[in-house]
Amino acid sequence: MNTISVLILILFILMLLVGGKQGLKSFLSLAINFSVIFMTVVLIGLDFPIIGVTLLNATIILAVTIYLGDDDPVTTETAFYGSMLVMVVIVILIIPVEHWATVQGFGNENTEDLEGLSLLVGIKFLDVSIATTILSSLGAIAEAAMAISAGLGEILTQNPDIAAQQLFKDGMGIGKQIIGTTFNTLFFGFFGGFLGLFIWFERLSYTFGELLNNKIFVSELLMILISFIGVILTIPITTWVMRIKVSRKSRVRK
Amino acid sequence: MSKIKPKHQVSWITILLVLILGGVLCFLTQHDALLYKAPVAQVTHVTDQKRISQVDNFHNHDFEQQQILTVRILNGKNRGKVLRVQNTFSASNAMDQPYRKNQQVFLHLQRGSKKQLQGTITDMKRDTVIVFLSWLAISLLLLTMKFSGFMALMSVLLNGVLFFLAIKLDVYLQATNVLTIFSVLAFVFAGLTLFLVLGKTKQMLVTFGATILGTVGSVVITLIVFAVTHEQGLHFETMEYVTQNPETVFLAETILGSLGAVMDESTDIISSLFALHRETPNLTRWQLFRSGREIGKSIMGPLINVLFLIFMADTFGMMVLYLRNGNSWAYSFTMNMSLGMVQSLVSGIGIVLAIPAASWFASSILKRGDRA
Repeated sequence: MNTISVLILILFILMLLVGGKQGLKSFLSLAINFSVIFMTVVLIGLDFPIIGVTLLNATIILAVTIYLGDDDPVTTETAFYGSMLVMVVIVILIIPVEHWATVQGFGNENTEDLEGLSLLVGIKFLDVSIATTILSSLGAIAEAAMAISAGLGEILTQNPDIAAQQLFKDGMGIGKQIIGTTFNTLFFGFFGGFLGLFIWFERLSYTFGELLNNKIFVSELLMILISFIGVILTIPITTWVMRIKVSRKSRVRK
Repeated sequence: MSKIKPKHQVSWITILLVLILGGVLCFLTQHDALLYKAPVAQVTHVTDQKRISQVDNFHNHDFEQQQILTVRILNGKNRGKVLRVQNTFSASNAMDQPYRKNQQVFLHLQRGSKKQLQGTITDMKRDTVIVFLSWLAISLLLLTMKFSGFMALMSVLLNGVLFFLAIKLDVYLQATNVLTIFSVLAFVFAGLTLFLVLGKTKQMLVTFGATILGTVGSVVITLIVFAVTHEQGLHFETMEYVTQNPETVFLAETILGSLGAVMDESTDIISSLFALHRETPNLTRWQLFRSGREIGKSIMGPLINVLFLIFMADTFGMMVLYLRNGNSWAYSFTMNMSLGMVQSLVSGIGIVLAIPAASWFASSILKRGDRA
């Protein structure tokens, strides 16, 4: 057996032991997300429209992560609508920013890895980097949206007649609790994974100015900043979605 | 932590001030060429030439096109001089790009045979976009989250500085012990971040313990699996940017990459258990442990997905290039995505292990002296 299958098996057993049925569902969501991600890159390779494929699959990833992540229908629905709205805002931000920064494709640091590969492959790498940025921010957006809607759902079950103003305040309160740890998850997720690159920069003594304009460094920094912005926006937007749901429900009751 | 409550909503004056600040910052970075030693120039005129279509060995259709750019140098002793430079770009823009009027670029200048000034473009100037996006992120954070946002920002910045210093140390020590340095650093990161979020409390110590236990546990499991399977199917030599000890750098990357998520989860579980204990102090140790597991299992899936998507999306560029170069799906996956996959799996194991660790630590500390 090769290493990856053994690790998959261990993760599966652990998730089942610790999470039971929920663990099984979470593992399933990982497996589906993997297939969707792999399919996205294969479709891009087959010359399908990059942004279209990405947006479609991003929606699937959000739905899978959220609906397989929790059972409560109010929580999942609110989180899904909230994160979809955030995704739309983020895409509107990402497209012009990527065109402005032009960090697509590869940098001089990749030269060795590119040996023997044809670069004239007729794929718009700018769109590929837009796809990368969108997809890498989705997990954090989904997670934040679920935390907010689950917390608000809890408050609503205890106090169903809560005023809209108060609900908003509570949503922001939950946001304040999660923002610090979520930022750290993202920071380590991105920077930890790029340790090798940073050692390279330091060993070849790049100056601060060079770093700040370097294609790969800037592309990495853009991704982390976009994810930050996505998470920050998720907090008020998800709260707002919950507020609309609540006010609609109370109107129906009257 | 959110003791400071705003008396009223953000006023229009604040928003206006933030907008003006952003404008000023972007304007300044747009005109900071004087700070650079390398020659910076602005494109003032572009003449495109004819497209020449290209077909590579794998029947990919692309084109190459040249453009003549007129640029004005903005700094150094040649400031104000105007020269013409050539640029070649393709449709895919994998390593090249077309330039537009008003973009700023870095130049490499040299004297030609007749002593006339010649230049080649080395890179695009990208600092303004970084400043713009940082400004956007920080303003949104402070306007919506106020003091908590500020603390979150501080902890990220502090971790950034530490990370930078550790890399300096690593390179200074000739990278003989990457793993030691970054494992110690992981402890320091976790301690410092939790201290900033929770203060020096019992809760912080418990969270710290759970984080370390989860991370160490996942690394031990990984090392055992590597040893038993002889790292079959892994190609550490395919790691980008790493020239020495790819395996140790990989492990260090994995530890750091999962640290934030493991910390995130331990914090969530333990703070909920402490709150639960305050509200209903007569819960038994076993009941506390079970509630911890209950909380943990609903957040583990989304958390593993966060890291998984980050690690996987990062490989897209290379994957597309491999696929378009006539490689099979399986080969492209092995060469580009398999290490990211291992990283996600190891992080996932750490995240799952943190659940019993956090629940057990919290329930034992809260019920110390009781019999379970």
